[in-house]
Amino acid sequence: MADESETSGVDRRQFLKVLGLTGAGAAVLSGCSTDKVEKLVPYLVQSEQQVPGVATWYASTCTECNNGCGLAVKTREARPIKLEGNAEHPVNAGTLCSRGQAGLQGLYNPDRLAGPLARNAAGGFDAIMWEDAIARLAAKVGLAPGKVAAINGYGPSTFSTLMEQWVGAVGGKVVYWEAFAREAERKANEKSWGRSDLPVYRFDKAKHIVSFGADFLETWGPVVEQQRGFAESHGFHDGTMSKHVFVGPRMSLTAANADEWLNVPAGSEVMVALAMAQVVASKRGSALAGSLSAYAPEQAAKATGLTVARLTALGEAFAAAEPSLAVAGGVAAQHRGAIDLCHAVNLLNEAAGNVGKTVLFGAAPTAASGYGDVLALFDSMRAGQVQVLLVHEANPLYALPKSGKFREALAQVAFKVSTASILDETAAACDLILPNLHALERWDDLRPRTGVTGTMQPVVEPVFAGMHTGDLLLKTAKAVGGPLAGFSAPSFEAHLKSEWQQAMPAGAEFESWWREVLARGGVYPDPAAPAGPVPSLVAGATTVTAAPPTFDGNGEFVFLPYPSSMYFDGRGANKPWLLENPDPVTKITWQSWVEVNPETAKRIDVREGEFLELTSPHGTVRAQVCVYPGIREDTLGMPLGLGHTEYGRYAKGRGVNAVDLLGAADGQGFLPYVSTRVTVKATGDYRKVSKTEGTPRQLGRGIIEAMPLAYAAKGMTPEEAIKAEGHPAHEVNTPKEAEAIAGWYEHQTERTKLGNYVGEHPKWGMAVDLSRCTGCSACVTACYAENNIATVGEEEIFKGREMSWIRIERYWEGGEHGEPLEARFAPVMCQHCDNAPCEPVCPVYASYHTPDGLNGQVYNRCVGTRYCSNNCPFKVRYFNWSRYSEVAWPEPLNLQLNPEVTVRARGVMEKCTFCIQRIRGAQNTAKLEDRNVKDGEVKPACAQACPSGALAFGNVKDPEATVVKWKRDPRGYVMLEETNVRPAVTYLAKVLNREPAAAHAAGES
Amino acid sequence: MHKRFVLGLGVATMATALMAVAVLPGVAQKPATGPAPLSVADSATLRGPRQPIFFRHDIHAGQLKMQCQYCHYSVGVSSEPGIPSLQTCMGCHIAIAGKSTADKAEIKKLKAAWTTKQPVEWIRVHSIARHAHFPHQRHIKALGPTACATCHGNVSRMPQIYKVNNVNNMGFCISCHIERKVSRDCTVCHY
Repeated sequence: MADESETSGVDRRQFLKVLGLTGAGAAVLSGCSTDKVEKLVPYLVQSEQQVPGVATWYASTCTECNNGCGLAVKTREARPIKLEGNAEHPVNAGTLCSRGQAGLQGLYNPDRLAGPLARNAAGGFDAIMWEDAIARLAAKVGLAPGKVAAINGYGPSTFSTLMEQWVGAVGGKVVYWEAFAREAERKANEKSWGRSDLPVYRFDKAKHIVSFGADFLETWGPVVEQQRGFAESHGFHDGTMSKHVFVGPRMSLTAANADEWLNVPAGSEVMVALAMAQVVASKRGSALAGSLSAYAPEQAAKATGLTVARLTALGEAFAAAEPSLAVAGGVAAQHRGAIDLCHAVNLLNEAAGNVGKTVLFGAAPTAASGYGDVLALFDSMRAGQVQVLLVHEANPLYALPKSGKFREALAQVAFKVSTASILDETAAACDLILPNLHALERWDDLRPRTGVTGTMQPVVEPVFAGMHTGDLLLKTAKAVGGPLAGFSAPSFEAHLKSEWQQAMPAGAEFESWWREVLARGGVYPDPAAPAGPVPSLVAGATTVTAAPPTFDGNGEFVFLPYPSSMYFDGRGANKPWLLENPDPVTKITWQSWVEVNPETAKRIDVREGEFLELTSPHGTVRAQVCVYPGIREDTLGMPLGLGHTEYGRYAKGRGVNAVDLLGAADGQGFLPYVSTRVTVKATGDYRKVSKTEGTPRQLGRGIIEAMPLAYAAKGMTPEEAIKAEGHPAHEVNTPKEAEAIAGWYEHQTERTKLGNYVGEHPKWGMAVDLSRCTGCSACVTACYAENNIATVGEEEIFKGREMSWIRIERYWEGGEHGEPLEARFAPVMCQHCDNAPCEPVCPVYASYHTPDGLNGQVYNRCVGTRYCSNNCPFKVRYFNWSRYSEVAWPEPLNLQLNPEVTVRARGVMEKCTFCIQRIRGAQNTAKLEDRNVKDGEVKPACAQACPSGALAFGNVKDPEATVVKWKRDPRGYVMLEETNVRPAVTYLAKVLNREPAAAHAAGES
Repeated sequence: MHKRFVLGLGVATMATALMAVAVLPGVAQKPATGPAPLSVADSATLRGPRQPIFFRHDIHAGQLKMQCQYCHYSVGVSSEPGIPSLQTCMGCHIAIAGKSTADKAEIKKLKAAWTTKQPVEWIRVHSIARHAHFPHQRHIKALGPTACATCHGNVSRMPQIYKVNNVNNMGFCISCHIERKVSRDCTVCHY
């Protein structure tokens, strides 16, 4: 099946040698013609680990951020095709976020550099050989003792230590820097407890969670671990759940999952934290009460516009819950008052006695050096003190504000070297580019926290001719000699092994122990190990300061840039999966936008899609308006991560870089993202917004049901809860309706019994617990990866032609007439209706019901009438309008394709299959072992990826199956029940930890 | 969907050397009537596409009675039957140079391919359209290890492989599925 057309061009021969016989199995659905001569190319030497047609799994570590989740890399014929979480890993326990999964598109990115580049006299780049590149670097390093520096964005690891030693040996210094290094939190921890490391937060244990701007479900901290913990405590279970309150000016995904969103002005979060701490301290009789007395709720009420009663109630509820948890972070901790805020939150946790219970020190990530050191480094560049600069896994020219003149400072360095594997903004300003290998191609490790070290092993031959920067350093050391003569390891792999040899437990045999470590993906702490000592407040920690927020400029609006869930600090912008996967709250794809409150939009007279010009004292950007109810009227939000001027075909020239509006000055050791005011000017230019959203509101359709905790605890059904809320009953199947549809279902399903199906068949079904689902969209990326779904691009999304088989619906509730704004999320995939409306309208039986309860879609039968889609009430059928399969995977992105799933051609209807390839695979395995498929053996890609475990899948005929237990929950309902389509997907209503409506209205003032 | 973690390529590749010295079934056997002596020139007149090496299933599977699964090693465990690596060929042919001049010439081609590390690019005879999935392992499990002939014909009598049945014709699949009263559901194969 190694089809010539698929691999030619990318060093085909090389690939065929590696891929062997069944290499590129997933080819385009091209009819039945077999006229074309196909070649079968055997392996020269068969690897005993690769059985053609059977996936081989390798353990590795994710490098898409520095939280170091464990990966399980699915390879077919030595080619990684999907990234999943490593179930043994303590951080992510088997699941993975969208960004982590999209790491695969970093491996196969068509814009990766094919070898070293050197700047020529004309200012362009010439491709050079690796030997030449090393010689050039060695010559420059040899001549610049004491004037070498490095910026390293990679986390604590054997490599980073090697780099430190290497740069140190030539008299230089390595500055660690990443865009969101949580510097303010570290400084506040220093002030509170005298330690600059970060704790691990136990969201799973907390009964009351208050987040001050920390987007712990999408971008702040180890999000996969935090989501799991949050689902554990905040998911409705045993009649109870935790309460989650979010304090901040913007409704992020985390805020959208809160039971209460306290919409306070940017910079005033500290007042809420102090008021809460004051209430908690006096309630508990804590010694802190005295030093907090100046910050009673009355002060906070003045600063935030919240009522004293609400603040007091919040503090009291927090004090009553044991344990509780308060966190501060995200862009709220990138404000000039951020250290005060984080310190106030530390005091709040102290007052409530959470330290040592939900705030655990000791397993902390090692301190990064942060923004202050980067500024100092650029200053020394300006002063001409740096002659050779190495930039590794960092892109400062993109991520730092232009107003800081970093580009000009960099130009002062005589010889700049980047190890970027894709030409990014910083690399483009360098003199020599030495592309690093992707994490899936190299030997490496990463220590995200004390006791956890993840390992990486090459799971694929390098797709492009890069070189591991570790090997580069060692080779260069040999060429330089002199001060670097001590670096004698023959390769980085050898160096890594020799370092690990020292970590080996006594008495073990290294090679076998090392293999075990690699197979597990690293070493993890003993879960039974006792926690580290609980720190106590240092002297002076009780001195509280809370300066009112200060901003650059005097524009009308506070500018609030925030890390995007998909693009993060900008590194996701070259991965089509992340560009196409809509932002979880705004539902915008492939673009930047500026969030404007509906009232503000009315006042300044702009509509959605109009370009707004934002001007701060530091710069101007133009972006499309997104009318967003989840932002304060005096604030404008904008995602970070787009607006690249380099970084490959997908990123370059797309959107705007919000950092352009910011000032670089700091003084506190972090980049003040939220410290700028902007003025706006409507330009009148308009462009459609590439949104996948249909209607933002449910309009009484009861698509995503929710109920207050009190009702859920009583075991009410969603219908009963609606009645109890005093709303008009959401009546379905009234006697009259029931009469009308009597026998209809039986008549329809009669047909599925045709066709000589013998034996007992399972019936596949799914349940979705909406009290666990956070809307993070990891399932969407997983589905794209598993099912070869084409990314269609912005222009096609304008036409509503996105292909996401599973989508996250986000509906707004309230937000009008004084009701609190509430967002509801639900994953919507094909509901595999028993009484499916799509089936009877298909003229060619391409859409039909399978004996195992699936709504089958036979691509080779489909003639593209689209009747099925027109008749589908859920709009989960996606028509392949164009030659997406020919443009979505430019080589070598096509190598990511799953050979078990047909790639659909133009003119075919496609949709969720419940990952039928996984069902059939499990059935094949079970058959070989003469048994039935066991419960939990089949996990569709969405359910597998879900960090909060919100999806259960299985055979609904098996009374012991998890899915059956979930479906029995009184909260269970099916979407659009009145259509009598009998879906196989049951949703369990979301539970809101707040008072029922009547009581809430009374409490609100 | 059982996941198994194994080690990386770095420790992976040099592997199957032992396979080469495994028992070589039937090498010593001398059947009463051997297959017709044929040279590569004759392959043009035989049915089926000419292959880069005139590999004779009638000798290997017929005269020498080698098991299909000796070379097509994964047919019982995977949807893919597996094409033998050149190392598998060389396991025997390191010692066996052939008797007739014609055989010797073909085996030399194999050795040349092995020495120059250029895999032999066989012409594919049987292939199923990409929108259909055929799990070999289930069919071997249900029909036994010698059931290959059901679709591929009696290769032990074929000097050159040709298509006996159009495996890409759905009727061919379905007639068997009807006969054996097994599933005819579309999504068993099409997904």
